[in-house]
Amino acid sequence: MMLPELAFAPGNAEWGLVGWLALLAGCLALDETSGAQTWLSQPLPAALLAGLVCGSPMAGLAVGLPLQLALTMNLPVGQTVTGDASGAAVAGVGGAVLSGRLPAVLGAGSGDPALTGWLLLGAALISLCGHPLIQAERRLHLVWMLQGRRTLRDGRLGRLERIHLRCVLATVLRGAVFGAAGTLAVAGLWVPVYDAMPAGLSPALSWLPWLAGALGLGAVFERYGLSPHWRWVTVGVAAGWLLGVAA
Amino acid sequence: MSAPFQPGAGSPTAGLPRWVRWSVYVRSLVLQASWNHQRMQNLGLLFCLLPWLRRRTRDAERDRLFCRRYFEFFNTNPYLAGYVMGGLLRLEQERDGAGGLPRGQAQTFRDSLARALASLGDQLFWLGLRPAVALLGCVLALAAGGAGIVALGSLALLVIVGQLVWRWQAIGRGYAAGYDIVNLLGDARWHRAIGGAKRATLVLAGVLAGWFLKAGWDHAPRTGVTTWISLLVLGGIMVLPTLLRRRWAGEFIILAAAVLGVVLTFALGTKGS
Repeated sequence: MMLPELAFAPGNAEWGLVGWLALLAGCLALDETSGAQTWLSQPLPAALLAGLVCGSPMAGLAVGLPLQLALTMNLPVGQTVTGDASGAAVAGVGGAVLSGRLPAVLGAGSGDPALTGWLLLGAALISLCGHPLIQAERRLHLVWMLQGRRTLRDGRLGRLERIHLRCVLATVLRGAVFGAAGTLAVAGLWVPVYDAMPAGLSPALSWLPWLAGALGLGAVFERYGLSPHWRWVTVGVAAGWLLGVAA
Repeated sequence: MSAPFQPGAGSPTAGLPRWVRWSVYVRSLVLQASWNHQRMQNLGLLFCLLPWLRRRTRDAERDRLFCRRYFEFFNTNPYLAGYVMGGLLRLEQERDGAGGLPRGQAQTFRDSLARALASLGDQLFWLGLRPAVALLGCVLALAAGGAGIVALGSLALLVIVGQLVWRWQAIGRGYAAGYDIVNLLGDARWHRAIGGAKRATLVLAGVLAGWFLKAGWDHAPRTGVTTWISLLVLGGIMVLPTLLRRRWAGEFIILAAAVLGVVLTFALGTKGS
């Protein structure tokens, strides 16, 4: 396979969009690990927000929905932050829009379903790349926190406040840089590689969002126990089937 | 039992000035910003409590001792941290002008409460409400069609406003209860809410599973796979984690799905959609 040509050459408008996406990714990084921890940094709303920023909410829905299903059981219990899912969602959507492509929403007619699978795979890899960055940031927090011990000797409260605010800023900065780099990587590298891929892989990529979603739902059943709660699950499955019929 | 701070005051939080409560509340939203592997939320807790200390006349020695009390290990669920903060402010307020809260007393109250709330919060918020809301979002996105974005926006607004109000009230309730917060922890409604959230998660996961199976049934002829094989594949994959008794992070689920997709494509000779 020939290496794809890097056809992505962003103009002023694209750089502006990358800037907005970076800002969004920074705010979402704060929400995901440090800030209010609202629902917005979950993959689905994060991708949808990125889609709205890019003017293509359907692209956000296409990437966000399977990503959310696969990552539903990524829970911050203990110290198990796996990756930067919100940054990855922003990068997946932003990269697709910047390269002028429209991924397909699960089960919907328009868009490229194989591209959805490819972006999902890219988002997973980008999210995993975010893990060491989050850990590095937390090691930095430790260094800064230990500087606060000086206040235990002199009682200067402002130092502690400045250290904490510095940590807030570091998170926003980490998220913004990660989001921008991820977006550019998807637009400049990941999507061009997709264009150069053999056509035989297209069905496998079309399957990917479905399989990842099904495995994600399987992870939910495993966590809560399928056999003790089979009645609740059966009721849900019947309702879901009817929902599919109605749709 | 905590003695009422201001006997005869109209509200149980009357001893906590509104401006201090507001400052503590706003700061509590970034409690975890300085999270670190050694002492976790210690600096965050101290950062949240400082507005109360700053309203006192400056006394370097008292400030130094106050910081020493709260610079130690602290970790709890961020949604319930307000109870700890409110409770600590109440105890500090009661001992204000009497040499401050003894270090051991602050430590015992903080650590025991933080541990109990961490366990409750993880069960209720992380393992209960968070997946339930995430799956409800997915159901809305699928069911609402073109109006999915409006539906998701409404859900987001509801969740955000709900938890912001919860956190505001947690500080007030923690302050009002003081040591009596133990009674609040024993409330059976916590466990009913945890059970309800987990059942809701399972029903919503079932709804999505049913929708997946129906879509797989409809989608199968276009991929060149028979409908029964499509159903078997999707249904089998949904029970796979239970059969294997393995928990994977979502990113690894996607990577595993990619491998499965390639295997299925070549095994079934599908045409794509």
